[in-house]
Amino acid sequence: MSKSTKKLGMNWRTLNRRVHVYLALFLLPWFLLYGVSSFPFAHPSIGDAAYNDGRPMWTLRLERAYDVPVPPGDGPEALRPLGQRILTDLGLKGSFGTYREGAEQVNVYIYTFWKSTQVKYYPVRKVIRVEDRRFRLDHFFTGMHARGGFEQDDPWSDAWAVVVDLVCLGLVGWVLSGLLMWWEIPSARRAGWLAIASSLVAFAGLIWRL
Amino acid sequence: MLLLRRIHLYAALLMGPWVLMYAVSTFVMNHRELFRGAPAQAVPVLEREFKWAGDFPPDALPRDKGRMLLQSLDLEGAFTVREEKDGALVVQRQSAVEPRRIRYDPATRMVRIERTPFRTSQFLERMHRRRGWQHGFATDNAWALSVDVFIAAMIFWAVSGIWLWWEMKSLRGWGLAAAAAGAALFALFLAVG
Repeated sequence: MSKSTKKLGMNWRTLNRRVHVYLALFLLPWFLLYGVSSFPFAHPSIGDAAYNDGRPMWTLRLERAYDVPVPPGDGPEALRPLGQRILTDLGLKGSFGTYREGAEQVNVYIYTFWKSTQVKYYPVRKVIRVEDRRFRLDHFFTGMHARGGFEQDDPWSDAWAVVVDLVCLGLVGWVLSGLLMWWEIPSARRAGWLAIASSLVAFAGLIWRL
Repeated sequence: MLLLRRIHLYAALLMGPWVLMYAVSTFVMNHRELFRGAPAQAVPVLEREFKWAGDFPPDALPRDKGRMLLQSLDLEGAFTVREEKDGALVVQRQSAVEPRRIRYDPATRMVRIERTPFRTSQFLERMHRRRGWQHGFATDNAWALSVDVFIAAMIFWAVSGIWLWWEMKSLRGWGLAAAAAGAALFALFLAVG
């Protein structure tokens, strides 16, 4: 192999390693977040038991007369302007979703990392009700885990969604760069092939049987 | 140090399919608009409809009925069940690849099975959300175990990765800069909410 080819190979391997480690260090908070927050998703009963202290999940903040027209249709596009109107009228902030809860109730769910609020609007009775959810550590983590998407008209939500995309790319990149690094270790190839083969068989088998 | 590297490596090779599944499914959910178009959300199609010869004990709960019905149809696995006002039993068989909706009408004894055709985006989202030990079936418990192993692996990769990086003195400067930048951005997001 020529000197320049050798140098190119060495540089490529070094670049691969550097990207693997520096991207991991940059995205470390998100990596830990998704790891830790997956636990309450997989074991919700632990959080439910820990917070089973008799305190209510939701506390009424206000209930008052309110009358705005409800657009026809059930889809998020149809109801979103109503949700935005409610947030503006009540001085509420956060990412939100709007949906019908039956014929006579529209709900708006407002989320920030630290607080969740639900608004129930009863257009027939012309009443609106705002309730705040108690803080739970497990819900704090699962809320952060579930946050994403570009549906909100909010630059910070979009910025968070961009980082989520970066984490996705990072995960794929770590697998690919990790495979390259593994292949560079001849003594680890046999055990590595065994690990890859058994994991693929287990994964495929589980999916087929689920 | 070598042992740590090897465990970091082999854990990644073992959990690679899970990592890729979670990565791709997260991208799908982060860009729902991209995947809402054609092919559209899969519409359930009728798979078969027939008169059911089985029977339920008189005091059977809906969940027991659902389990018995699925057993008789050779469709055992994770499911949800509800009884409708007209007494019909609706079972949602939560298959990863092709979920099924089974409706049993006790008045006519007819069973109607509808299958949701495979759509990659919906399959990925189902797999991402699949977790927990509540179903009680061996395959579901095995999957739940794999999710727990994956969670442990994530934490391990982070901790072992930090250790492995720290052992490489020449990378400490830029590594600290990368870590600090990421931590600062994360803290900013937390502060903004």
